[in-house]
Amino acid sequence: MYTQDDKRCALGDLLSHVQNGDCVAVGGGLSWREPMAALRELIRQDIKGLKLVGSAHGIDIDLLCGAGVVAESAESYVGFEQDFGMAINYRRACEAGLVKVEDNCCYTLVQQLRAAISGLPFMPIRSVQGTDFMQLHPEFKTMICPFSGEQLVLVPALKPDVAILHAHYADQHGNLHIEGPPVADILFAKASVKVIASVEQIISREELAQKGVTIPYFYVTALCEVPYGAHPTSCYPNYAYDREHTAYYYQATKHSEDGFRENYLKPFVYDCKDNKTYIEAIGGKARLSCLEQWDFGMEQWMKLYE
Amino acid sequence: MNNKSKIQTCTLGELMIYQIALSIEDGILAFHGFGSPLVQLALHLAKHSHAPHLVLVAGATYGVNPAPAFLTPTSNDFAMNRGAECHLNIEELFDLAASGRLGRMFLSGLQIDKWGNMNVTRVEKNGKLTLKLPGGGGGCNLSCDADHVTIWTAAHRAPPDDQGHRRYRLVESCDFVTSVGHRTADGIHRSGLPLRGQGPDCMITDLGVFDFNYDGHLRLRAVYPDTSAELVAENTGFDFPVAENLTIADLPDVALIEFIRRLDPMKIHQRELSLADRERSFDLAGA
Repeated sequence: MYTQDDKRCALGDLLSHVQNGDCVAVGGGLSWREPMAALRELIRQDIKGLKLVGSAHGIDIDLLCGAGVVAESAESYVGFEQDFGMAINYRRACEAGLVKVEDNCCYTLVQQLRAAISGLPFMPIRSVQGTDFMQLHPEFKTMICPFSGEQLVLVPALKPDVAILHAHYADQHGNLHIEGPPVADILFAKASVKVIASVEQIISREELAQKGVTIPYFYVTALCEVPYGAHPTSCYPNYAYDREHTAYYYQATKHSEDGFRENYLKPFVYDCKDNKTYIEAIGGKARLSCLEQWDFGMEQWMKLYE
Repeated sequence: MNNKSKIQTCTLGELMIYQIALSIEDGILAFHGFGSPLVQLALHLAKHSHAPHLVLVAGATYGVNPAPAFLTPTSNDFAMNRGAECHLNIEELFDLAASGRLGRMFLSGLQIDKWGNMNVTRVEKNGKLTLKLPGGGGGCNLSCDADHVTIWTAAHRAPPDDQGHRRYRLVESCDFVTSVGHRTADGIHRSGLPLRGQGPDCMITDLGVFDFNYDGHLRLRAVYPDTSAELVAENTGFDFPVAENLTIADLPDVALIEFIRRLDPMKIHQRELSLADRERSFDLAGA
């Protein structure tokens, strides 16, 4: 239980809750509401050897792989869909053996988190049988159901050391409000030992209660106000996905690990002491207002994808 | 719109979208996953035409019956979720599948074998990882749980390289089975596995349309106006039976083509196709 009255802290202190070798659940998914500012700070703090768990992700996991801080990935998907295709840093790190491939599947993950949330050692599922995930994950066991006689798969409880989330709003007590798809954030928050969150804005408890509590405060360890903290992923309705920046990112991943360090990590991560500096580096207010004006009309919105 | 009278051909992408849509029954719950613009458009097309009672669950957002502003290249986007009637969350969608209420799922693979097993996880050479693929999302679970599965791929064609070697999409066997079809690598038939879903029942590719025979083996059912059973065979890494009444696949009508073009003004779905395949089109009058 995290019951302190005021959980606000600086971004640097927020990431001090992550240790080398931790099992980390990253919130959001694909190009939506990933805690990018927090992940950039994690890289600056040189926290390493992480084991990542999650569902369908993109630039967040790829960035961490490109920075060399990942030891193992149990994500169910890491890529850029039809936008750019495969996640190159992720691929390179997996193929070089730097990241151990422990791919999982969405429902298996859900059931593993539910086991942790319910305080059970495992949850049963019927699926996965007949696929090679049974060999990839020798920790999955089978049993004959004493009620139906069916063979079921038992997947062990998954209790991440820390969940890193980005939400729209919080109060200082740590109640979080997320608009739009929560993806697996609520499950991550309930299953993890610690939850750290960056938020677009910290508001009063009354205002937050009015919007609705997506994640109750006592799950939340610490939080930090980081406007535009999901950039370049989207945080609708506040701002759209920055495809132009992501295209730049993708180009920078193409050639080599060193090329990525020089052309992306240096200017956008290491040389940015905080998110304000980062925002300047990606084009400042002018760029942000393009992303914020997604709802000015269909043409404006579509332009963001060109 | 003046365009109506001008549409005289449909593209390969539009034909594939239509054929995928035809596999969707009215009144079921179906889910389109992410990274699948052809399928996303097919679900909307089906709901717009022959399946108005389809419960359409959008991938990544889990919005139900949205009316997308336009198709985006990323699935978890407000544009894709606009106007959703209600929302599920990740656990609810997968619970629906696990309890037998997901009528149809759509899956693809970088390797697809004759039993409909697919690999989107890893390619190996002599047991060593040579290509890390993006991963299957929830495809593994849903291949087991969904009542029916439609397989699709826009990369069936496997042209020979300089040495004459073809790198097949349709392979004799998968390096890793991410999603399960009708028979496992060690020969166990799906009916011998305690799975709820009935497995894949059709496959739509850039070269033709398949179903599965009584044995659970892919069988060519239809070709396209510019393909033939011989061409399909050349581009397939295993032998397959051909339906006795092999036909040429139906093309969508003008109204359906217009619907697709309206919903995908940026032609995102073409990104699934090779550059050459983006040029393929079929004369509606000749159909």
